[in-house]
Order: sequence, then C-alpha cells, then structure tokens
Amino acid sequence: MNTEKNDTIHMFLCYSRTIIKSWFQYKLDACIRSFTVFIREASGIIVIYLTLQTFKHINGWKPDELLFLFSLIFLSYGILIIFFTGLRDFDRSVHDGGFDRILLRPRGLLFQVISSNADWFAAIGHGGLGITLFLLSASRIGISWNITTVLYYIAALTGGVLIQGAVFLALASLSFYLIKSNNIKEIFYWNMRRFANYPISIFPKLIQYLMIYVMPFAFVNYFPAQFLLRKEDMHSYPQIFMYITPLVGGFLYFLAYLFWKSSLKHYKSTGN
Amino acid sequence: MKKPIIKLSEVRKSFKISKRANGLPGHIANLFVPKFDMKKAVDDISFEIYKGEAVGFIGANGAGKSTTIKMMSGILYPDSGEIQIAGFIPYKQRKSYVSNIGAVFGQKSQLTWDLPVIDSYELLKNIYRIPEDAYRKNLKMFTDLLDLSSFIEQPVRQLSLGQRMRADIAASLLHSPGIVFFDEPTIGLDVVAKERIREFVRYINKEQKVTIIFTTHDMQDIEKTCGRIIIIDTGKKIFDGSVGELMNLSSEDMDIESIVRKIYEGDIKII
Repeated sequence: MNTEKNDTIHMFLCYSRTIIKSWFQYKLDACIRSFTVFIREASGIIVIYLTLQTFKHINGWKPDELLFLFSLIFLSYGILIIFFTGLRDFDRSVHDGGFDRILLRPRGLLFQVISSNADWFAAIGHGGLGITLFLLSASRIGISWNITTVLYYIAALTGGVLIQGAVFLALASLSFYLIKSNNIKEIFYWNMRRFANYPISIFPKLIQYLMIYVMPFAFVNYFPAQFLLRKEDMHSYPQIFMYITPLVGGFLYFLAYLFWKSSLKHYKSTGN
Repeated sequence: MKKPIIKLSEVRKSFKISKRANGLPGHIANLFVPKFDMKKAVDDISFEIYKGEAVGFIGANGAGKSTTIKMMSGILYPDSGEIQIAGFIPYKQRKSYVSNIGAVFGQKSQLTWDLPVIDSYELLKNIYRIPEDAYRKNLKMFTDLLDLSSFIEQPVRQLSLGQRMRADIAASLLHSPGIVFFDEPTIGLDVVAKERIREFVRYINKEQKVTIIFTTHDMQDIEKTCGRIIIIDTGKKIFDGSVGELMNLSSEDMDIESIVRKIYEGDIKII
C-alpha cells in the first residue's frame, strides 16, 4: 500500500509542476497573479476594518477579533483552492468535454480533477492574506496558545476546508444533471460567504439558520473563533457547536462524496 | 475458435432532449414544466471485433458513432446491453480498463495547451506508470514515424492542426495500448497530413498488430486503412462487412464514397 501512496503524492506534484510551468509561460502574469489576488481581497478587508473603527465593536466583537474571523475564511480558502479548484470550476469541464479526458486515464477521477487544477498562485494570495490577518490579530485578542488550542485550531481549519470542499463537490456532482450549475454556486456559496465576514449573531434568525444548517459557514469561522475567544453572544447557540467543526467537515464531505459517486453514471459527455 | 477482443451485444443508449415550444413564451413555459423527448442515439447495436482488425466505423452526423465510441472507451454508460473489451466491462472497470486502450479525438486535444508537447508526454508517462525504457522506446519510434522532432519542444498552441494531430496520436499511444479508437483524426487536415496519418495507422495495425477502430467522413481514410467497415444509421447497424462486399452492393461501377452516399440517401437498400 505504501508504494501506492507515495505514487499518489508524486503524481500530485507532477500535476502541480505542469500547472506552474503553464502559468510561467506568461511570466509577468504569473508573477503578479498572487499579488493581485492579495491586493483585491485585502482592500475589501481594509474597507470593512476602517468602517468598524467608528463602532468600536459589533455585538461585543472588537475590530481585531473580526480580523481573526476573516483570517479563518482566507486561510481555509487558500488551502481550499489548492485541492478544490477543479471542483469549483467543474461545470466548465463538463460543459467543454474536458471530463472525457479524465475518464480516459487510469487514475481516480476525483484525484485527477483535484490535482490537475491546483491553483497555487491564487492560494498564495488568499493564504498569504489569511496568514497576514492571523499575525495581525492573534497576538492582540488574548488567545492563550497551548498544545490544546493549537491542535484545535489545526483541526478546525481542516474542518473548515472540508465543509467548503463538500459544497464544491456537491455542486460539481449537480452539474452532471444540469450541465451548468454556476448560478447555484453564486447564490449558495459566494453570497453566503459575504455574511461570514461578520459574527452571525448580528443577523436575523433566518440568515443565522442558513449559515448554520444550510451553507454552514458558521462552522468555518464563527464557532471555531468562539472556542478560542468565548464571546458573550455564544450563549444563543448550543455550546457543542464550538467543538464540532472537524466532525461537520468530515460528515459533509462524506455525504458529498456519496452524491458524487451516485451522480457519475449520469455523465452525458458533450457531442461532437 | 478465436475469441473476439471487442464484443457489443444489443447496446442501447438514449439521451433526453428538451423539447421547447417556439418563441420566448415557450422557453419560459419550459422552465416550469420541462418537456423531454428521448432520442435514441444507439439503438440495439451488436458486433464483434477480433485482435488485429482495422475497422472503419462510419455513419452520417448524429448516427451514433461518437456515442458508441464513448461507450466503448468507458466514458458513457449504456442504458442496456453488454460491452466486453479485452476482458473488461469498460464503464464498470474503467480504471483498470483504460490502460488497454488509446483514444484519439480529432476535435479534442489531450495535450496541455500552453506547454511544449514533450511536457505533456512526461506527464502521461507518470499517469500511465509507463516504465522508463518502454517510454523512451515508444517516444523514439513515434518521433520517427510521425516526424515530431521539429516541434516537440514547442508549446501546443503554436502548432499547426496537422502537427497537433500527430502529437495527439503519439500521446494516445505512449502506453502501448492494444486497441486504439480514432475518432475523426483527419478532420480539417490537408491531403498530405491526412496521408501521413493513414500511413501511420496502417503501420501500427500491420506491424504492431494493434486493433483499430476508425471513424471518419473521408472514405479514402477507410479504403487505405481498414479491411472491414461497419456503417450505422440512426443508431442501428446497417452494414458490416469487407470493403469488397460493400462495393458489391452496387451493380454500377461506383467508388466507395458514392456507394456510402447512396446508402445514406436510401437509394441502396441493405437487408
């Protein structure tokens, strides 16, 4: 089994080398891509941050604590697009028949979709911003870092990646039926993600429900941050929510994987 | 008795086609109450192919050629019927099956657009786990036969269509498959480029005993490469025989192109 595993990592790196080489065919573009992503996303954050300065806090969350919330979103997204860009953009490859090529090769389908699309440059931009925000905020908000909190942080980050990965995987599976699923993703993922910039407790109940039970962004950043910060507003939710992000991630990913498996035979390919 | 390497029995495949009333109101109505027609793309097709055969697979546009090829290469599930190729059921055992086949699609490249041809080959070597010496040997052979050396270091996006097609063919054969599907590999090529590909197909079929399935609209492709022809029309097999047998269908002295045209148009009936 061990040789098989080594081969998988080797193959993943082979794909990544191809992707990075492709990007460097357009040298200037490759160099500025990470930087562009960083600046684009950071300017959004700066606007929110400066606006919040005038409020001192919202629902008990100080600006630095909000930066910590942002950092979880960006760090998880940075990791997400290394592994799930192929699924995020999957409807495109169903639409143009690129998935045919993947089906013709003697490797796992999901493995190929994942590793042939790892977006390292954007990952550096998003992840770099996540790390910057983390460094800016983590020391100033009174988290005591010890072995428990560090391990929890890593588990929660992984869970957060899996939650979003599960959504991309489920939407990718949906494109076997619909061919184009872009609009659903726009509403379901990108719109909901905007709410995740704030503590969910400031929103009307309906949005809170959506953020917890439908598109569970609350488990990507709000509840993990609560575990580390213990703000007042956590009283409105079951305490267990602070601990279960890794479980939610694993469970949702598993469900999405089952959906993917059962959807594969509905692939129609596009005619010549 | 020899066993066939490819066996299709009573294979069927239909697609849902959404049926729309004309005009904007029709389109909007369709959003709420979608209406579908089932189009039979492949309707009860059976045939057997033996190792080392070269079979021309022809039919008018929309006759079901591509759908059949896609089912044979494990891309699509048939609705019913059985497919057995090289001891595998393609759509069920995809991962172990596909190493045994090569597929060349004239309309879709499998090379990485922005990278030199050789980089795509290196990636394929890893994907198919091709041993280094076999890879070297095949690469050398295809470079000579298809004359790749002048552009193998160039990015795919800079290649002419004929060069890209040759590069694509080599890419599909690097892992030494025993069966190769050529789906319109000569489409859009000039006479010289076509001839070169035909020669190559003939060579791997005769010298390397590779089993070939060849779809095309150019009857010269068939005449020059294939010993046997299968014609399908509206999802059904209407002819299966040698080039000679096809020629005998007409009493007049006609070339193969005209005979096939008359079959499509219904002027020659086949029982």
